[in-house]
Amino acid sequence: MYSKLLVRYRALNEIGASVLLTLLATLILFALRSEENTAMISQLYLLPVGIGAARWGWRGGISSALVSFMTLNYFFLEPYYTFSIHRSQDLITLVIFLAVAAAISQLISQAQRSQSVAEAHQQETLRLYELNNVLIGLNTPEKILQALASQTLHAFEAGKVEILLEPLEDSSSVSSQSALIALAENLLPGQALAAAPTLLVPLESGPKLVGEVRIWLSPAARAGVDQRAIQAFMLRGVMALERAQVAASEQKTRALAESDRLKSALLSSVSHELRTPLATIKASVSSLLGDYDLDGAVQTELLQAIEEETDHLTQLVSNLLSMSRLEAGSLKLQKRWNSLREIVDGVLQRMHITTHRLALDVSSDLPLLPVDYVLIEQVLVNLLSNCVKYAPENSLITLRAWAQDELQALHLGIINQGPPVAEEHLEHIFDKFYRITAAEKVSGIGLGLSICNGIVEVHGGKIWAENSPSGFTFHLTLPLTWQGEQPYLPSP
Amino acid sequence: MNTEPKILVIDDEPQIARALRTILQARRFQVLVAHNGETGLALAAAQQPDIIILDLGLPDMDGVEVCRRLREWTQTPIIILSVRDSEQDKVLALNQGADDYLTKPFGIEELIARLRVALRHSAQAGSTASAPLIGSEALQIDLAQHRVTQNGVEVHLTATEFKLLAYLARNAGRVLSHQAILARVWGLENSERVEYLRVYIRQLRLKLEVDPEHPRYIINEPGIGYRFLLD
Repeated sequence: MYSKLLVRYRALNEIGASVLLTLLATLILFALRSEENTAMISQLYLLPVGIGAARWGWRGGISSALVSFMTLNYFFLEPYYTFSIHRSQDLITLVIFLAVAAAISQLISQAQRSQSVAEAHQQETLRLYELNNVLIGLNTPEKILQALASQTLHAFEAGKVEILLEPLEDSSSVSSQSALIALAENLLPGQALAAAPTLLVPLESGPKLVGEVRIWLSPAARAGVDQRAIQAFMLRGVMALERAQVAASEQKTRALAESDRLKSALLSSVSHELRTPLATIKASVSSLLGDYDLDGAVQTELLQAIEEETDHLTQLVSNLLSMSRLEAGSLKLQKRWNSLREIVDGVLQRMHITTHRLALDVSSDLPLLPVDYVLIEQVLVNLLSNCVKYAPENSLITLRAWAQDELQALHLGIINQGPPVAEEHLEHIFDKFYRITAAEKVSGIGLGLSICNGIVEVHGGKIWAENSPSGFTFHLTLPLTWQGEQPYLPSP
Repeated sequence: MNTEPKILVIDDEPQIARALRTILQARRFQVLVAHNGETGLALAAAQQPDIIILDLGLPDMDGVEVCRRLREWTQTPIIILSVRDSEQDKVLALNQGADDYLTKPFGIEELIARLRVALRHSAQAGSTASAPLIGSEALQIDLAQHRVTQNGVEVHLTATEFKLLAYLARNAGRVLSHQAILARVWGLENSERVEYLRVYIRQLRLKLEVDPEHPRYIINEPGIGYRFLLD
């Protein structure tokens, strides 16, 4: 209703302006009045008619034509100052004038109209182009909706745009399980909006309704709004959403295929890996049970083998567990301020390394480390097992730690006397199932180091290996700050 | 009169219960077995065991809950059995009054050692529950006088250091979680500030231990807390 009033108000404005212009022209022409130049004056009167039509549309043109028709009669055709006409020639002049004026105003306003339509088209094309440019780089429904909302807001000078998207068909992906809402607002301070939106536009994907766009327009923008243009906008938005959905499911398929491949690789090596210690345990136990003549030394040896193999199995199980958690992204860090020395002590106590000599250069005075105790313990167990596995018996394993980068990170080096690793393997030894030695020679499924890598990465640290002059070295750095801060310590 | 210590094993896995029964009986313990929490609580009340071994994963109720209900009426030492990745449950059980924990799989020697420590300290606690003096030959802690002497020489501790040491010493032999110690010494609002505790423990070790890098009184329970040992 309000917009109808507005249209009427604008029409009155247009008519008034062209009437005024015509009256002004009458004033000027009145100065030139003489009996001989009536024909010229009637021609000059076409000028305000043309201007009126060009500036204020057909209403301006027609009203100007009517007014000049009357003023021509009243002021310029004898007898002056009456609307009566004595000469039939004058009547013809007047009628012709009116016809010409009407035709001119019609033609001009029509040309004007098609020009403004062309301009609107051009503007719409430009807006769509801009929208496309923005949407093309986006790949999540959230971002696409948000961009669509803010682009709509600017393009149509709306006060507020709200887009509601129903859950997409593929309800297995987390981001599309609930309805999404994007909101863009551009309100002047103190400006309030009606409770109900000005426009409701459905979002359709093919025959299916997938959402709704609610647009609040300011009174000024309301009259000139082009619903078709808004629909074109929303069509682009829906297309971008569909594109993102296709891309996401493609990526998921790829990830599934990859994890399938890993799982079958894992399964085959795990079953091999489980059988070896189980076979040892079974053999040892059955000979202990069955053969009563075994001497003490042999018994001890068998029992030690059983204990070692159960330790292997234990480590394998915790590695598999961490692996599946890292894979699933469900690893929750229980971060606390920990002491590296305490972790190292715990690990050495647990591992009971007797086959190698150990040198420990890890001070209890090192700054505290914001890490998950259990996970870093697992990293150290895996790295040390690797050293024990590859370094010759009774050789030296050194653990050395220091703070670096002005207390921003802690560096731990684990040096062993194992054989150097060819440079081309070095950067791959932390990859999943990457093994340098043939599988039969040394036990382990290449899982340990890749888990170390995964755990250190989720802590924001780095892990790498190097053939250094002092021996084959694992390097490990871990951040010493937690959310950018160091521990707040009381002064004792 | 039977002098063999009586052990109650609450564990739902029959293989583990069987193994523990065989091994502990061979080590001259009397063994009672319960396969769920309710039976365990009933047996504990009826048989008055000297020590309880409690698995945290029970079919009928949470092991932490069993621990809490036992502590409502008995101070019998409780040793928790748990799997590796349930650190949080372990800490909860310790905070509910469990004395010690073992992570599966464990060596039997370690279990026996823990049982001995727990039995010895529960016997001591029974005889010296309100004694103002705690200590070994070398280290003496006078809770009433707030005095600590090492081989007869007084050791100067700050008020907080003494409060920390006194709490550890009163619970000698028990594993105390970081949170429990922090809540007791620094107040509940600081129970997550493990970094405070580390600084003070380090100070105490420097003042009390002969070799602070290899402490014999204040022992780390890696990732869990500390245990004070007097021997």
